[in-house]
Amino acid sequence: MEIDVRKEGQTVVISLTGRMDAVSAPQFDMTAEELLAQGDRRLIINFETLEYISSAGLQSILALAKRLEPVDGSVVLCNLNGPVKEVFDISGFSFIFNIYDNLEDAKASG
Amino acid sequence: MRTNLMAVFRIILPASIDHLGDFIQALSRWLEQEGMAKEKISRVQLAVEEALVNVIRYAYQGGAGEVELRGAVADDQRLTIQIMDRGIPFNVCAVPKPDVRCGIRDRKVGGLGVYLIHRMVDELVYRREGDQNVLTMFINRNLGNLAGPRQDVHAGA
Repeated sequence: MEIDVRKEGQTVVISLTGRMDAVSAPQFDMTAEELLAQGDRRLIINFETLEYISSAGLQSILALAKRLEPVDGSVVLCNLNGPVKEVFDISGFSFIFNIYDNLEDAKASG
Repeated sequence: MRTNLMAVFRIILPASIDHLGDFIQALSRWLEQEGMAKEKISRVQLAVEEALVNVIRYAYQGGAGEVELRGAVADDQRLTIQIMDRGIPFNVCAVPKPDVRCGIRDRKVGGLGVYLIHRMVDELVYRREGDQNVLTMFINRNLGNLAGPRQDVHAGA
């Protein structure tokens, strides 16, 4: 999995490419940890080029959301499609996260 | 009834997260050769990853051990996948369904992987056979776009 991090003002856009599985999810955890340590509180995760996600990936995203909640932070998601969207729907994660169709809408949400 | 199947695909590797990619890649190559649609392969990958990760993390309780992955396609094009280990007994089918409706604060992560397995396959059977855990997944062709029987190339002769 490739992780691209772009800071745009107060917002950080994390774009994921490839497969977020039990092997690669810890990479995401480390990236999230660094961003939180730097004081970033408003995160957007862009799934446009993510092909696959397993429960390990879901757990990483849930863990990030749980850590942001008590510090008044937020994480919103965008561009879910194909197998990734299916896994979010099945697991109920589609209902507990703010999900936008595209990055522009996600940026405008704040 | 023994559930061990005559495998067309078979791979045995140490139960280590370092080998997860090897299992998934080898299985995917075989499924491609069997003519399975890409979206369906992705669903099988998910079920197999979740099952393998359970074995890797819990079966040998920190010790070393192996896990075997088998696959076969029956005449009716039903795909059968088996995952076998010699770790502690673990009945995947007895894992309670997680509450998939609660919010971020109350949401638990446990049980999600097993729930995904159930949702990706048509039938899931667990058996303890001797010192082995045998998890069998059945995936139907009609729900899964496995390619049908090959067209007769002599047709029209």
